[in-house]
Amino acid sequence: MAIKAVKKILTWARIKSPWIIHFNTGACNACDIEIIAALTPRYDLERFGVLLKGTPRHADVLVCSGPVTKEVEPRLKRIYEQMVEPKFVIAVGTCACTGGVFSGCYNIKGGIDTVIPVSAYIPGCPVSPKAIIDGTVKLLVSLEEKK
Amino acid sequence: MISALFAILVFPGILFVSAFSLAAEFADRKIHARLQNRVGPPWFQPLADFIKLLGKAELIPTNARPLIFSITPVFALASAITAYLYVPLWTKDALFSFNGDVIVVLYLLTIPTMAFFIGGWYSTSLYAKIGSVRLMTQLFAYEVPLFIGILSGALLADTWSLYGIALFYHNNPMFRFFNIIGFAVSLIALMGKLEKVPFDIPEAETEIVAGVCTEYSGKFLALFRLALDVEMVVGASLLAAVYLPSGMSLGPIAGFAVYIVEIFFIVALISLLRTVFARLRIDQMVSFCWKYMAPLGIAQLLINLIVKAVLIK
Ligand code: SF4
Repeated sequence: MAIKAVKKILTWARIKSPWIIHFNTGACNACDIEIIAALTPRYDLERFGVLLKGTPRHADVLVCSGPVTKEVEPRLKRIYEQMVEPKFVIAVGTCACTGGVFSGCYNIKGGIDTVIPVSAYIPGCPVSPKAIIDGTVKLLVSLEEKK
Repeated sequence: MISALFAILVFPGILFVSAFSLAAEFADRKIHARLQNRVGPPWFQPLADFIKLLGKAELIPTNARPLIFSITPVFALASAITAYLYVPLWTKDALFSFNGDVIVVLYLLTIPTMAFFIGGWYSTSLYAKIGSVRLMTQLFAYEVPLFIGILSGALLADTWSLYGIALFYHNNPMFRFFNIIGFAVSLIALMGKLEKVPFDIPEAETEIVAGVCTEYSGKFLALFRLALDVEMVVGASLLAAVYLPSGMSLGPIAGFAVYIVEIFFIVALISLLRTVFARLRIDQMVSFCWKYMAPLGIAQLLINLIVKAVLIK
């Protein structure tokens, strides 16, 4: 009973306070600009408790944009390993979901999920800030349902 | 025995001061957001952050010294909370008071900074080390103006106990107006201690990731953040006790309300200043503190000496 209550409070806290770290795995930069736009006062993600953190140790959600290039693959893995459990990954942009227009290039591995597990996919080229917010909120709501 | 335990654990100890400092953090973030034309976080945000950090897995970097790495956050929080036991003043009789507690509080407030430094240094990350060195450099810059500012107020009151200072200014309210420079100097120095924006050089996230806290995660980070919040409340209470009017004669409840309002007033000032300014470089910060703040503090000291010689004798 008590354990259940503690778990409930923990889930609540996790949903209310997702700290993110943004990592460009090889995007054309348009998706990054949209992510930054989502963090500006116009959209104000702090309403949902989202804070942009500089170090993977503090972050709960890894926001990746762009296809995984062969050069960045070990680094992406390393950043993922540096994060502390529980952790989630959001793939932002068509490239991050599948490889997009870059798939099949000689230097491209593919989408983010070819390297690390991904919790949410947000397609779009580039994704609009509203879509990013919507995707993030959907990920958080799915946490609540899973319990 | 029971009352001592109550004082340590509930009021004004751990429970009360934690809740109060989370509320202060919320006020700070909300005012900051409103000044930037944003909606800002909901009221439970600091609490949710704290619980979430407590619930994360434990991670100590391989290169770090496990004992020092995990014990410094506890030290930081413990000394900040201990300092709080001496500062709240809203009734005629202080909770704990002895002659010299101003000095004790000021030194207890230095311990969290030392704990940040040691924790950052022993986590052996390059960014944390740079942050630690900057933290120490900054400490030497703001500590002197802060001490001069607070102690010149004490000098006029002719006592080293916070309760005595508050009582003196309560009985002679006009003397407060001589202390305006001291208030400004101490407020700015306090912002350096709290690593608020013009002085957030040790944790500058655009330069050195997160400074001293780079390698900290989970509950260690939660304790560090709480320690900073408690420091904010203690510092604000210290300033309120020395410089602002107190509701001592109004009875416990109204006095308490006055105290809370004053703390939030100082927190609002801090968030206003941190919204208006941008980060300084470390050398600019040091030269600003030594070239302008320290001389202003000494000027305040001289003013108080003259006032004391002319008006009180
Ligand atoms: S999805 Fe489009 S905008 Fe985003 S990185 Fe790929 S090509 Fe660029």
